Amino acid sequence: MNGRPCVDAAPLDEILAHYPASETALIQVLQDVHRAYHYLPCDVLAKVADALDVPLAKVFSVGTFYKAFSLVPQGRTIVRVCTGTACHIRGASRLIEEIERQLEIKPGETTEDMGFTIKTVNCVGACAMAPVMIVGETYHGGAEPAKVAKYLAETEADHEN
Amino acid sequence: MSGGANDAGGKGTMVTLTIDGRVAKVPEGATVLDAARAIGVRIPTLCQHEALEPWGGCRLCLVDVTKKDWRGWEKMVVSCMFPAEDGLAVSTATERVVATRKAVLDLLLARCPDTPLVQKLAREYGVERTSYRENPEPTDCILCGLCTRVCDAIGVSAIATVDRGAGKEVAPPFHEAPPDCIGCLACAEVCPTECIPYQTSDSARTIWGRRFEMVRCPHCGRAHITREQATFYAGRGGVPESYFTTCDACKRTQMARTFTTLSAVR
Ligand code: SF4
Ligand code: SF4
Ligand code: FES
Ligand code: FES
Repeated sequence: MNGRPCVDAAPLDEILAHYPASETALIQVLQDVHRAYHYLPCDVLAKVADALDVPLAKVFSVGTFYKAFSLVPQGRTIVRVCTGTACHIRGASRLIEEIERQLEIKPGETTEDMGFTIKTVNCVGACAMAPVMIVGETYHGGAEPAKVAKYLAETEADHEN
Repeated sequence: MSGGANDAGGKGTMVTLTIDGRVAKVPEGATVLDAARAIGVRIPTLCQHEALEPWGGCRLCLVDVTKKDWRGWEKMVVSCMFPAEDGLAVSTATERVVATRKAVLDLLLARCPDTPLVQKLAREYGVERTSYRENPEPTDCILCGLCTRVCDAIGVSAIATVDRGAGKEVAPPFHEAPPDCIGCLACAEVCPTECIPYQTSDSARTIWGRRFEMVRCPHCGRAHITREQATFYAGRGGVPESYFTTCDACKRTQMARTFTTLSAVR
C-alpha cells in the first residue's frame, strides 16, 4: 500500500487456505501471519481484510491492540527478558546488559541482519524460575548472564537448519 | 428508545419501576436510562446515542438498583444497558453513585484537561481540577466510541480504535487517508467534543486527511453530498444515485408538487 514495499504473498495464501473466509478467523490468521513474516506487513493486512471480508480499519484495530503483534519488521527470534518484580530482584538488568552487549542493540530494537529483537516483558508467570528469559519459544529459568551467549547460539543454530 | 424497545409493535408488555421514588412505566425492552428520560429524570451520559446500540463504555450513567426481594442488596449498573424490569427500584444519585461518577470524571479530566464538555461535567460533580497527573499531550477525544460506532452502523467502518491503554486513539488504518470513508461527516457530527476536524465547501470536503469531490443537486445546484456518499447509498439501497444527489430541500419541493398535482386530479 501507498508506496510501501510489498512482501511475498505466498505464505499468506498458504495461511488463508487453512481458515474459513470469515471474521471469526481474524486473530488466528494474524497470528499465523506474524509467525510467517515476523510482523504484520501492511499490504498483507489489506489482503487479509479482503479475504476475510473484514473492514481494513477493524483489522488494523486488532493488529495494533495486542502486544504480541508488531507492525514493524522484527527479528527472526524475539528475545524476551522478564522485568517483573521477581526477575528484577534476581538480576534481570544484568541479563539485559549482557544481551545488549552480545547483540549490540537495545530493548525494542532489531539487529541489522534481522536475526534478533530484544523485548522486555512484565512477569511471564514463572517467578519461581526468576530471572526468566525467553529466546524464541524456549524458556530459560534461572538465566545467567554468563550463559546468554549459549542461549542465543542455540537459536541461531535453529535458523541454520 | 434504544435496543429492542420498539419490537413489541406498540402492543407489548409494559413494565413498571421506580426511579428516585417516582413511578415510570415503559415498554419491556426499554433500558433504565430510557425510563428515566421518559419521566424527566436526568442521568449524565457520554457514550450513548439513541440511534446506536448502547455500549456501556463511559460508565457515567451508573445508577443503583435494587428490588424488594433482594433483601437490601443493591448493585450499581450502567443505566444505558440495564433493562427496565417490573419492581426495580432505581436510585440515580446515591452517595456511591455520585462518588463513582466523580471518579470517572476525575480520570476523564486528567485525559482531557482542556475539553469544555469534560470540564463542565466535572465541575457539576465538584471536580475543578483532576487529582491525577494531567495528560502531557491533552486531547479532546474521550474515547466514547460514538464515531466508530456510527461509521459501523452506516456500514462503512472506515475508522476504528487503534492501539491500547494510554496510547489508544481513534484513527483510520495506518493513520492514512481511509480508503473506505465516504466523507459523510457522521462521525464528526456525532462527536460530543467536536474533536474530529473537517472542512467542507461547494467544491470539496476533507475529513481524516481524505479529500472528496462534492456533487451538486441537479435542481438547485447546492453542493450537499460527496460522490462517494451517493454511490455508497445507491449501492446499498438499490435506489438510483440521482435520488441521493437531489438535495433534501428539492426533494421536498418535488414531493409537494406531486401532491398538489395529485389533489388537483382528484
Ligand atoms: S466521514 Fe468517513 S469515517 Fe466519518 S462516519 Fe462517514 S464514512 Fe465513517
Ligand atoms: S473522536 Fe469524538 S466521537 Fe470519537 S471517540 Fe473521540 S470523543 Fe468520541
Ligand atoms: S517476575 Fe519474571 S516471571 Fe514473574
Ligand atoms: S452512557 Fe452508559 S456507559 Fe456511557
